[in-house]
Amino acid sequence: MVDLEFFLEYYEFLKQEKEKGKKIIAYMSHDNIPEELIDAAGFIPLRLIFSGNDELMDKGADYLPTSTCSFALSTIGLFSVKPNKYRFLDLIDYFIVSNHCVSDICSSEIICKYFDIPRIDFYVPYILSENGLKYYRIELIEFKKKLEEIRGSSISNEDIINSIEKYNRFRRNISKIKYYDISGSDKLELYQKALLYGPKILELRDFNINNGGQIKIKNKKNVILTGCSIFLGDDLIEIIEEGDGNVIFLDTWVGDVYFSQTLEDNWLDQQKENDPFDILTEMFKRNTYTDHVVPNFIDYKIEKIVSIINNLKEKLGISNIGVINHIIKFCDHMSLPREQLKEKLQAKNYFVLNIERDYSRASHGQLSTRIEAFLEMI
Amino acid sequence: MSLMTDDVINFTSMLRMSYDFLHSGRKFNIKSNRKGKKLISVVFPFSDLVFAAKTIPIFPIRLEKFKVNTYLEALNSASGLFGWKAVSNFLGFIRKFDFLKVFDGIIDDVINSLNYKYNKMYDLGIEEGVSNDFCYGIKALYGMHSSRHNNLDANLNVIIRCSAFNKYYESLKRFSDNLIWLDIPPRNIGNALEICTENVKETISQLEKLTGNSITDNDLRKQFRISNECRELYREIIYEISNSDFYPCNPATFSEILALLSISFQDFNSNAETYLKNFRNLVKEMKERIRKKIGMDVSNRPRILLTPRFGGWEPESHNLIYKMGGRLLYADWEILGALENIDVYAYSDPIEAYAKFLMDITTKGVGCDNTALTDSYIRVARKMDVDGLIFIEVFGCHSISNCYTMLRQKVRNELEIPTTALTFNKIGENIEQVKTRLGAFMEMFN
Repeated sequence: MVDLEFFLEYYEFLKQEKEKGKKIIAYMSHDNIPEELIDAAGFIPLRLIFSGNDELMDKGADYLPTSTCSFALSTIGLFSVKPNKYRFLDLIDYFIVSNHCVSDICSSEIICKYFDIPRIDFYVPYILSENGLKYYRIELIEFKKKLEEIRGSSISNEDIINSIEKYNRFRRNISKIKYYDISGSDKLELYQKALLYGPKILELRDFNINNGGQIKIKNKKNVILTGCSIFLGDDLIEIIEEGDGNVIFLDTWVGDVYFSQTLEDNWLDQQKENDPFDILTEMFKRNTYTDHVVPNFIDYKIEKIVSIINNLKEKLGISNIGVINHIIKFCDHMSLPREQLKEKLQAKNYFVLNIERDYSRASHGQLSTRIEAFLEMI
Repeated sequence: MSLMTDDVINFTSMLRMSYDFLHSGRKFNIKSNRKGKKLISVVFPFSDLVFAAKTIPIFPIRLEKFKVNTYLEALNSASGLFGWKAVSNFLGFIRKFDFLKVFDGIIDDVINSLNYKYNKMYDLGIEEGVSNDFCYGIKALYGMHSSRHNNLDANLNVIIRCSAFNKYYESLKRFSDNLIWLDIPPRNIGNALEICTENVKETISQLEKLTGNSITDNDLRKQFRISNECRELYREIIYEISNSDFYPCNPATFSEILALLSISFQDFNSNAETYLKNFRNLVKEMKERIRKKIGMDVSNRPRILLTPRFGGWEPESHNLIYKMGGRLLYADWEILGALENIDVYAYSDPIEAYAKFLMDITTKGVGCDNTALTDSYIRVARKMDVDGLIFIEVFGCHSISNCYTMLRQKVRNELEIPTTALTFNKIGENIEQVKTRLGAFMEMFN
């Protein structure tokens, strides 16, 4: 898990960028925000990927009912409590209100309204159809206009293409870690840090850390983690490792779902002369694993999990891989289809555990017991 | 004794609507009763396209068998011979002699049986794997589909801003391969209206394919005219009749009528023309009763708006408010923008008109965020000139009923009327608590 020093470093990083005149654009993290446009505008995207605790959830409940997702409540709580290590939140200039889920809308709106942060709207269609893509394009255009208004000058197509290439390289590089012979918690930490720093992380850290061996992970009880992301500060992955398990693959947004969204270089080269909005729209179209869209999310999800397991077996020679479906309490996207996901995977003879939890300390014991019992089955 | 029976027994239109609501859906479980038409489940007031496809929309709870029907069915049989009005007059006459106490419970039974069934569907939804953490509406709807999916030919899924609801739509794939989707862009920017129009066209094509019927502009206009008139009548009840000092019945009955209208408005009891006829009669009867001073002077009773109701609420609330000296009003569809008329001018494109109607609901009524949604609550409360507002915080609702903090502030600043929030999980679960909270709230009017 990241330490206090990381937060201090991150604060310094943002502060320096801000001193260069860059604006900090924050948002409740999701995978359909066109961060390439934020980057092309010369601004810094700040993904709010911080987990919560009892105090933060309680504070969030001053604004939304307690039956709101724990992540959303905690994110509001962060702005209300402002714990010292999160003082970089004071550097935020704008906040994106988006509709990854309805709790995203409501909590982002509250953060803007009650903590005086100017808002930028960016809404995403729910159905991935031709018309949905056309609508996504309109949102992109509006979003660019807003960014241009903030920066006081236009954003060139060339700058957008450059940012698209930059983020493409970034995602591709980071995505390599999925087959590294390192523990799940180390992978997660790299993913989380990469999401916060963006492409800059490639300059700051060495990602060539694969030792080529597979002994460590072979001796563990390996699981794929799917469902809700594990956010920064959450010790769920440590609980799994304490039970002698290892998260071999993070099939979550903070993980492979985001970093696997890469474009082929050839294709990208061919598009360079075209409208960059076409490329961004194409990226949205290809993002079929996002939990935002309907009506085929669960079908795609199951297909992907099966393919991950087959790949892991083939590449690493590991059998007996379990699936942990992580559901943050009151999550609209992951909670409703949990039984369908479990039934369908179990029908294919996979071990599946649905764990639904919030960020309260009290739930840790029970969580630990359930995970240990599940790992024993593998 | 029921609070309402005395009022309703002479209310032909009310009896007829209640009967249609409870009975006319169930018959569609038998395929031959559909006369070759397809049965399409709908939720929220989005049944127009299904009617235009000359087929049957149904809010799926209406496929259930309700407990009460013995008396109402007897009434219906009698009405077949003598007409509803004659039956109603006869009932009114014999009630004077107190012969048939059995009728005391008719409307109570209608409501109780509906609530009982809602709770059964809720339990079934949980049994079928819906997490307890979802709202009452989703759990109950999932239960309804689980119970009757074999009898449905398709489901019309209209995308709304609630992500849980959109995922609920997806979950219906478990029961049906025929999910007909209608996507509404979240904001009216750029050429979003054009996109929405394309989406409506796509939905129409799917309905045509399913039913084998073509949907012409005239079919659409005809249906929109019917539903527009229903909307106008509905608004007349909300803004004019509910605002008068004399009610055609006691205020609890009036609330009951508003609740029944709200539920039945989703599928027009599967027959738009009959529904309109009953609606016209209802408004006419209400006005006549007011004119003849049949009913109740309510001038000294504060008018309380309760919202949102459609995601689940405690139906006992209006009886409690009545006993505490107030009158409770429901107006969800107006708040959410679903009672706006659809343009039916001869030269306008009806598909685009319907798209505009849907986009207005999304952007102005429900709103793409809580700022817009709370503005809608305020707009209607102001227009209705209510004296107080009760907000229902449905457990597990992350969309429509989670904005009380924002709403309370706006009510205080802009309306300056008393307001309170009631939490709701399941019908009948917390009546004592509701009673206590409503009691404290009503104290503010004494």
